[in-house]
Amino acid sequence: MRRIRVGFTCLLVLAAAAACTSMGAEPWERDVLAKEQMQLVTDPVEAAIDDHIYFSKEASSGGRGFGGGGCGCN
Amino acid sequence: MAAAARQTSPSVTRRQDHWCGDFVAMASPCQILSKSDRATARKQLEQAAAEAGRVEAKYSRYRRGNIVDRINSANGSPVLLDEETANLIDFAATLHRLSDGRFDITSGVLREVWIFDGSDRVPEEGQVRAVLERVGWPKAVWESPVLTLAPGMQIDFGGIGKEYAVDRAAALAASLSDAPCLVNFGGDIAAVGAVSGGPWRVGIEALGAGSGEAFKRIRLQQGGLATSGDARRFLLKNGVRYSHLLNPQTGWPVVDAPRSVTVAAHTCTQAGMLSTLAMLMGADAEEFLERQGVRSWCIR
Amino acid sequence: MSAKNTGNIAQGLAAATCSLLGTAATLPVLAQEQPEWEFDTALLYYGEDGGRVQDLSLNLLARRLFADDRILSVGLAVDSLTGATPSGAVPQDELQTFTRPSGESTYQVAAGEMPLDDTFLDTRYALTASWRQPLGRDYAGTAGLSFSTEYDYTHVGANFALSRDFNKRNTTVSLGLALARDELDPEGGAPLPLGFMSDVRDLSERGGTENKDVVDLLLGVTQAVNENLLVQLNYSLSDGTGYLNDPYKILSVVDPLSGDAILRTPAPGAAGPLHQYRFESRPDKRTKHSLFGQGKYFMGGKVLDMSYRYMTDDWGIDSHTLETKLNLPLGDTSYIEPHLRFYTQSEADFYRASLVDGEPLPQFASADYRLGSFDAITAGLKYGWRTSSGKDFAVRLEYYRQDGEIPTHQLIGSHDQSSLYPDLDAVILNFSFGFGM
Repeated sequence: MRRIRVGFTCLLVLAAAAACTSMGAEPWERDVLAKEQMQLVTDPVEAAIDDHIYFSKEASSGGRGFGGGGCGCN
Repeated sequence: MAAAARQTSPSVTRRQDHWCGDFVAMASPCQILSKSDRATARKQLEQAAAEAGRVEAKYSRYRRGNIVDRINSANGSPVLLDEETANLIDFAATLHRLSDGRFDITSGVLREVWIFDGSDRVPEEGQVRAVLERVGWPKAVWESPVLTLAPGMQIDFGGIGKEYAVDRAAALAASLSDAPCLVNFGGDIAAVGAVSGGPWRVGIEALGAGSGEAFKRIRLQQGGLATSGDARRFLLKNGVRYSHLLNPQTGWPVVDAPRSVTVAAHTCTQAGMLSTLAMLMGADAEEFLERQGVRSWCIR
Repeated sequence: MSAKNTGNIAQGLAAATCSLLGTAATLPVLAQEQPEWEFDTALLYYGEDGGRVQDLSLNLLARRLFADDRILSVGLAVDSLTGATPSGAVPQDELQTFTRPSGESTYQVAAGEMPLDDTFLDTRYALTASWRQPLGRDYAGTAGLSFSTEYDYTHVGANFALSRDFNKRNTTVSLGLALARDELDPEGGAPLPLGFMSDVRDLSERGGTENKDVVDLLLGVTQAVNENLLVQLNYSLSDGTGYLNDPYKILSVVDPLSGDAILRTPAPGAAGPLHQYRFESRPDKRTKHSLFGQGKYFMGGKVLDMSYRYMTDDWGIDSHTLETKLNLPLGDTSYIEPHLRFYTQSEADFYRASLVDGEPLPQFASADYRLGSFDAITAGLKYGWRTSSGKDFAVRLEYYRQDGEIPTHQLIGSHDQSSLYPDLDAVILNFSFGFGM
């Protein structure tokens, strides 16, 4: 049941993506989106550090990207 | 989604460290970025928009009754030009000579047989040759301030007009304030004013890359920046891509031109000329730019 | 018709332009591309209270931008870990003795104290490398390798990603795959699942090295909604097989009525535990599904970042993560960024605070607090600035707290909710420095 729910959510996502054809900004309107602070990951080192901390202390990992390199963190 | 429509009372909005004003002119989204105070930025915007409108009205080939229309419908009769137009014709003549004929403001009539709509309708040799009869700056008689074109010939300021307007608008902005100011008419840019604070960050759309890292980021503090590209106008037949840049001496498109050339020079006019000439050099674009000793970025 | 025929026309052009515009351009052209090399470094201090884990780490990331948007990234991280970590055993009203993982000696925990194993003084080295380049007009590909090593653990991994742009680059769809092979070489060998903790130098219930394989799949969509809003939605699937246990975690075996650990006598002449403890046992397979969404919204200079992640796996763990950051510029060159993160997870099906003596042994059991049910909150503030020469500095201070809850039916006898779960209080202090060349 859970698998069906997850699968359906994926389809919704893809459908939403297909519907997004009119959304967005023209290339000359992308000055804000090109700013450093608007990148999805502004500081990759900080993101890697946080990912590693939470991977060691919690049961979940990743989501944004891959869960990072494994470690024998205790 | 195009930029805001022409406004009767233009206004500037605050970005983090500068004022920004938008308008549309010469079929392009235009903007003025100014680090001056709000009132001055508004004046700079008004004057830039007015100048862009004036240059467009005067030199667009689509307007009835302007100087370009009169020259193009003279049908062999001499036309007396005003000082500004005479200067532009002088400039075009010099460019024709400096570029060994590659830059030619009479080449516009070739658009009668070349329609770049992404289709595969490439004209035949015979059609091109027929139109080529009416192309060639040497066929015109230019004795400043009188210009006489042969019947059937047309001039087109499309290759100079926008960059010229940028430099004129930038000069007007600089006369109003010393603070840094950037004029951007659809990608043709000039940065004037004091060199203080951080540089302007200009992004060049890097074709063919993933999102996010897509821009080549150039830090511009002083000078002009112009980009020539063939991204959207081309013909594709039998796997051969015909770029919209036509060689005025053969009547056929330039082969192996880069997808995009961006040049930084003292003025936007110079940058525009160099980027256009580089594209016209086709495969030798990079070599040409190196010889000119300018900063440039080619994307193939 | 070649460039060789055309000499330097720049001078002629400059003169012609001067005549046209009526000005002499004497000012130099100042236009420069973004630097080729970018270096990011960070020094991190992570410290839990109560004598628990402290970590000092140094991180370096070097990125080199090549022509045509090709990027090489190389990263190095060195972590130095000290301090103790909860072993999974429950506190008792009397002294407890445990055999160290090495099997060479014992350590003791006073009455009433949370049993912490302080064996972990270790340094971990990690190396990553990746290459990204455009593939044709709309595609971009990335390939990377990762490697890490510590005294009892080695990781080797490879990752690949492909992305395609649509709608004038307003939409990007990505597909990613990561493969990892980890090798564990625990001190004293991997213990047998649910085997008893034995006396010093008794390695009868110990194995050798173990392996773990992880495959991660990621499918994502990034969409620019308008000039000011960017959103991302990712679905990931993670499949781990092999040795998924923590070789150092144990469970106390307790009396069903009193909740006290069952007594044990070491062999004559040997040192060893005075109570019964068993090593944990987890399934040898774990499948995780995650759904992650993030939005970045530009509000006239301020940037709001919000993200949510839902994770569910076949161990019965469900988690929700809600995170938000607000980047507030201060003048032209600095900013502060408050950060808030909420996390909650439900316990694994086989999580238990302790094993009950006399009951049949379950197939899987673990008292590792990281598989338990808890809420966590992170609150922090970051302050950053850029110098006139273009160097970036930042300082970040954060507080992380975990509050766990043991299911009431697992509280046996004298077990007390407040003292049983090893709640966590940690401080994160981070200095960053970045520059380009």
